[in-house]
Amino acid sequence: MSLFAGVSGGAADAASGVGTGRALLELTPHKMAVCQLVQVFAPPAQAGGDVVPPFPFESLAHHNRLGLFLFTLTRSCEDFLEPPLEEFLRQLKAVDNLANGWFCEQLTSSLSALNSPDDLFNFFDKLRGVLTAPEGASAEDVFLDPNSQLGVFLRCCILAFNSMTFEGVCHLLADLVMYCNSTDASYDLAEDEDFNSEMGNLMDADIGSQVGIFDKFHQGYASERHMGESSSALTRAPTSTYYFDDANIFKADDNPTCLRSRWQLEAYLNQQADILEKDPGSVPLNSFNATMTQLQTLAPELHRVQFLQYLNALCHDDYVASLDNLHRYFDYSAGMQGLFGRSVSQVQDIVVGKYESALLCLGNLHCYFGHPKKALEAFAEAVRVSQMNNDDSCLAYVLGAISNLLSKIGISNTVGIISSPYSLGTNIGLGTPLSIQQQLLVLLKRSLKRADALKLASLLSFDHLSLAKFDLKHVQRPLVSFGPNASTKLRTCPADVIKNLRLGSLVLTDFGADVLSTSNDNGSFSTSWLRNLSAASDSWRRSSKNTKKLHINDFDDFHYHAQPSPVPAPILQLAGSAYLLRATAWEHYGSAPMVRMNALVYATCFADAASSSELSLAYVKLIQQLAVFKGYSAAFCALKLAEKKFPSSTSLHIQLLGMQILHERALHRGHLKVAQQICDEFGVLSSSVSGVDIELKTEFSVRRARTLLAAKQFSQAAAVASSLFSTCYKYNMQVENASILLLLAEIHKKSDNAVLALPCALASQSFCKSFNLDLLEASATLTLAELWLALGSSHAKKALSLVYQSLPMILGHGGLELRARAHIILAKCHLSDPKFSVLEDPEAVLDPLNQATEDLQALEYHEMAAEAYYLKAMAYNHLGKLDEREEAAARFKDHVTALENPQNEEDSLAY
Amino acid sequence: MAYAKETYRAELLAAARQLGERCLYSAAKWAAELLVGVEPDAAPVQSAAMDTPSSSSATSAGRLLHLHRSGGSSFRHRPRPGGGISSEAGTPLGGVSYVSTPIPDDDAFDSGGDKYLLAKTYFDCREYRRAAHVLQKQVGRKAVFLRCYALYMAGEKRKEAEMIELEGSLGKSNAVNQELVALEKELSTHRRTGSIDSFGLYLYGIVLRDKGCEDLARTILVESVNSYPWNWSAWSELQSLCTSSDILNNLNLKNNWMKDFFLASAYLELKMHEEALKRYERLMGVFRCSGYIQAQIATVQYSMRDLDEAEMKFEDLLRTDPFRVDSMDIYSNLLYAKESLTALSFLAHRVFLTDKYRPESCCIIANYYSLKGQHEKSVLYFQRALKLNRKYLSAWTLMGHEYVELKNTPAAIDAYRRAVDINPRDFRAWYGLGQIYEMMGMPFYALHYFRKSSYLQPNDARLWIAMAQCYESDPLQMIEEAIKCYERAANSNDTEGIALHRLAKLHGMLGQSEEAAFYYKKDLERMEVEERQGQNFVEALLFLAKHYKSIGRFEEAEHYCTRLLDYTGPEKETAKNMLQGIKRSQSGFPSMDTDHFAL
Repeated sequence: MSLFAGVSGGAADAASGVGTGRALLELTPHKMAVCQLVQVFAPPAQAGGDVVPPFPFESLAHHNRLGLFLFTLTRSCEDFLEPPLEEFLRQLKAVDNLANGWFCEQLTSSLSALNSPDDLFNFFDKLRGVLTAPEGASAEDVFLDPNSQLGVFLRCCILAFNSMTFEGVCHLLADLVMYCNSTDASYDLAEDEDFNSEMGNLMDADIGSQVGIFDKFHQGYASERHMGESSSALTRAPTSTYYFDDANIFKADDNPTCLRSRWQLEAYLNQQADILEKDPGSVPLNSFNATMTQLQTLAPELHRVQFLQYLNALCHDDYVASLDNLHRYFDYSAGMQGLFGRSVSQVQDIVVGKYESALLCLGNLHCYFGHPKKALEAFAEAVRVSQMNNDDSCLAYVLGAISNLLSKIGISNTVGIISSPYSLGTNIGLGTPLSIQQQLLVLLKRSLKRADALKLASLLSFDHLSLAKFDLKHVQRPLVSFGPNASTKLRTCPADVIKNLRLGSLVLTDFGADVLSTSNDNGSFSTSWLRNLSAASDSWRRSSKNTKKLHINDFDDFHYHAQPSPVPAPILQLAGSAYLLRATAWEHYGSAPMVRMNALVYATCFADAASSSELSLAYVKLIQQLAVFKGYSAAFCALKLAEKKFPSSTSLHIQLLGMQILHERALHRGHLKVAQQICDEFGVLSSSVSGVDIELKTEFSVRRARTLLAAKQFSQAAAVASSLFSTCYKYNMQVENASILLLLAEIHKKSDNAVLALPCALASQSFCKSFNLDLLEASATLTLAELWLALGSSHAKKALSLVYQSLPMILGHGGLELRARAHIILAKCHLSDPKFSVLEDPEAVLDPLNQATEDLQALEYHEMAAEAYYLKAMAYNHLGKLDEREEAAARFKDHVTALENPQNEEDSLAY
Repeated sequence: MAYAKETYRAELLAAARQLGERCLYSAAKWAAELLVGVEPDAAPVQSAAMDTPSSSSATSAGRLLHLHRSGGSSFRHRPRPGGGISSEAGTPLGGVSYVSTPIPDDDAFDSGGDKYLLAKTYFDCREYRRAAHVLQKQVGRKAVFLRCYALYMAGEKRKEAEMIELEGSLGKSNAVNQELVALEKELSTHRRTGSIDSFGLYLYGIVLRDKGCEDLARTILVESVNSYPWNWSAWSELQSLCTSSDILNNLNLKNNWMKDFFLASAYLELKMHEEALKRYERLMGVFRCSGYIQAQIATVQYSMRDLDEAEMKFEDLLRTDPFRVDSMDIYSNLLYAKESLTALSFLAHRVFLTDKYRPESCCIIANYYSLKGQHEKSVLYFQRALKLNRKYLSAWTLMGHEYVELKNTPAAIDAYRRAVDINPRDFRAWYGLGQIYEMMGMPFYALHYFRKSSYLQPNDARLWIAMAQCYESDPLQMIEEAIKCYERAANSNDTEGIALHRLAKLHGMLGQSEEAAFYYKKDLERMEVEERQGQNFVEALLFLAKHYKSIGRFEEAEHYCTRLLDYTGPEKETAKNMLQGIKRSQSGFPSMDTDHFAL
């Protein structure tokens, strides 16, 4: 029976990191301790070695538990330093609690028995016996498979020792003494002359008492024995999920600082990078830098550390430091080879190690800091260099990055942005320069083609998603149109969007070909296993303290039955963003349930791999839906929860969301000063550079116009809205224009200028039609109906038919406000229709009005509520129901006074 | 009272002895060299040569040596500066008054003299731990110092060994001097109780520096040099901790004459060449035969590109001190710059015979091979130099140059980057990095490095020109930025005159002929002064002629055209045609191009 034979895949990874002519790993006291335990785990075969399980173990489960523990020890990447003996013993105790600390005693005694270089030689000699099958052993005998993870580890250790110089052995011995002494005085026996005999006695006593211990073990676990299988017995590990607040508590000063193996170091760095991406706010700039500097002094040739420093500086918006670290990292590593026998990583990582990738990163850096021009220069150079070096995959990535940049910035003047002839053909057939959008489309298509050809699954998926994003917003026009009669129909194409979204999520199934799949086991599973193990062993002491700890992410929460996810995190992330994008698409097309569903899917299924900004975006979508459908109090409750998860100082999305909802509520309540104040805050958030933060600026203008509208400053509001319209037109943002036109119509309508409003509303409606913005179209239709009504009661019939036309959409997908509006307009149509008599059909008016007042209650929308109550009072008046009339009138008065004399305005700023 | 040469001599003599006594060899060497460098006064004082300072008639009361001895070593109570009695204000060079510091006396041994002697001999034989062991339980200051110093040296020796032993696959492990902690503990206790002398402070300072407490180290070293200014090692440690002129100016130093040496050397390091040169020349007035000052002056002159002067100085120096290796790497750089192969080979041969295992020697040999064009060998010797001293800055940079020659860009980048990480103020390495990336066709990426280098050396035209060339390169085409850079270059003494020509050309390309003419004219003037002629000259003349013709200033146009006639080539014909055209339009005839009738 060979143990853990199946896990050699990871070992092959480790082996690929071999340096040129250097030992695979450096021997440290910690590794020797692990070796010693491996020896206990799989003792050298002796005569009659067919006892299963071997000597100190009571059951197979117990045996396997130690094996799993040792396995995780070689894979975990919690820290870059190896734990001191004390910490190690504590972890061991969690495995060992059944055998009453026998392992710990055994370990410390055998380690501190190593007193001279010769003892070390003997130690490793003995280790060799673990790996060799005894003579005449049959296949059923227990021995350690030399190709298993532990077997490889052991072989590496033996090899490292054999290739060690005598100086190295001396150092190892000195470190070992220090390592043993760091625990506590009772183990401080290395220099004690009586040590051997004393320890021997101790061990004898221990072994003598073992019978008793195992009896106890029998009793305690007899009930579980029927589970039989070793794996299920392994699940005896406590399922409590405490973990350390600070893993560094136990680091003693005099402990030798030993680095973990290279594989573990890289896994550690990857993990840190993940944390930086997932939650940059949780990583303090300076302390992280200090950690990295420490690691760098310990391993100056591990240049990935500088990349992490770059990431850290980037996450904390430190331009100068990130630029410096970026250049330093690529200066050292881009050539892939050094001067003084630096080891070379043979893993062909896509982002690491080439000059064109340096440019790619530089471009992304400039993009991040909002320097589109510099970013483009860097990307253009990256294109050139990767073409020069025939680096197709990098080229594909650069193209993807450029399209990302182009979609982010809305630069109006296209000429001169991509001036280099390398990037694009500047004209197609007709000799007209391409607009930014066209360039973007061409780039995306090119990138897509390359990614497809090179089998870069993740890039392929990214490109599909970008195309979907592009199709969502951008209007297709027929490429060639001749003559005056050619149809110049502009429209968006939802079918393309959904096609691309589907193709984008295909990455989940066919990521095998990509580089990403190789980094499947990244050690995080082992890390969290180990963490939980030690936490559990502490739980007797610290259970009360830990219960109040909230888990920030499901990922930290170790579910014992959970397997390491078969899908690598980057793939999950891409697949997740497909869902997020779907939610956005449905937001545009106007299907509330679909938005909710997709956002929910994202928040529940992809939260593990999501970056904090994307996850917060999903939350934002959900909360926005709440605000629209359930009113503000529900939304604010949810927002508070979300803010706990993402502090608003770190998440712009959440911060914006809070301001949006506050602004809406202030407008509805009639607290105009507050609305103005929040509006100004919006204005401050966006960058002053033109062409940057377009979306934020658009939103600011829209909100400003609406605030002005609420303050009845119509001409100013109209001016703001029309200037916004021209800006959006300039930046080719047609989809936004549909809603701006509607806003303009609304402004004109409120200023009693129905004639001016009508063309706006009609234009908006036709925009919505061609861009498939169904909900917005319904809303525009509603406005049209109102305008017809305003033109005179003779048009009531027409208005009514328009309202009926939009009702299905509104009742199915519209929010509270839209529904209330529809209801009010419906009632108004009826009331103003001269042929309609309230007496005949009072329900036709009262039902919608009741519905409307109910909906508006949640929104605290005084203006519209007042209108509804007014209509209600009128209706009751016609019906002769005086009591109801008085009540409705009283409510009308309430709302009007609330609107006109706003009180407690400050409340509107709090939630 | 004049700060007479004899005073200098007396102080230096005592210092050399005291430093040697404490095994501070390099400081003792420095003091002794300087002592010899003092040119004796015309009338030699009889007792000047070998006497103890007490017999020197010029010494002040403060330096008289009727001192009580307490404990092992005996420092006089120092009077407060300005206390008047002993702080004599001499009239030094340049009229600045120096504060003299009394020379402490400790020539005699205290009770543990024999043991001290034994320890010192052990130390001399580099058996540091033995030396420290002998001095255990000795309480005299001198003994304490030597014991601590021996421990420190033992730790350093062990550290060096460990650095090689412990080198792992991820690079050097952090071998540290194991004695630092204990030493710091002991020395800080001594400092608190006041039982520490300036040598102890010096040791404390370097211990602190090794531990990374640079601020405290600076304070301690200042204390040390203020109480005992003749320890050059302390000064140079202090200097290595002064990485900017701000730090330098904020040091609270007593105005001893040794401070001048310190400041001059610090200025040199901080690239404030004029100030350094001024101070060294003043010091030269006293220490007329000092090889050290001569070498430093030559170094400054080399840095200021005054190659001929510097070469003379170095030659002089080698004549008087033929087995010198210090500063000779600079001399070899100079010879390299002047491309004098023979002299360089001679120098290389000489240092090779003197001591081949000095980083400087390896560097000189590498320079020789580089000049010969044998870059592989050159790299080999630079590597050897770096093995001997990993922090040898210029070797990293020069090795980068060699790798560039070998077209091994990754290695070159690596070498330059290491230089930059050792000293971020090394503009040459930044420049080298920029050049490599530009060579690799990454001008935008290279800009970062050129920016760094021109930030450090804003008055160097070469750096600005390099940056401008990046900007105007084909892929970037950022002409306006290039023009700005060229303007900077033109304003900072561009000896090769590239900037003016390019400025004129770029302005011409942008259609700004007024500016273009201005720069062509300037360029023309420059070329006339330097008596250089060539294609650029013709081009400038042609442009100016055309320009003046087009704006109707025919006299100037005619002038330039006539000058063009001196040259052969197509321009001559053009000039002739233009001249005819000008004459016609001046004489009032309707302008007609003769070319039409030429066929």
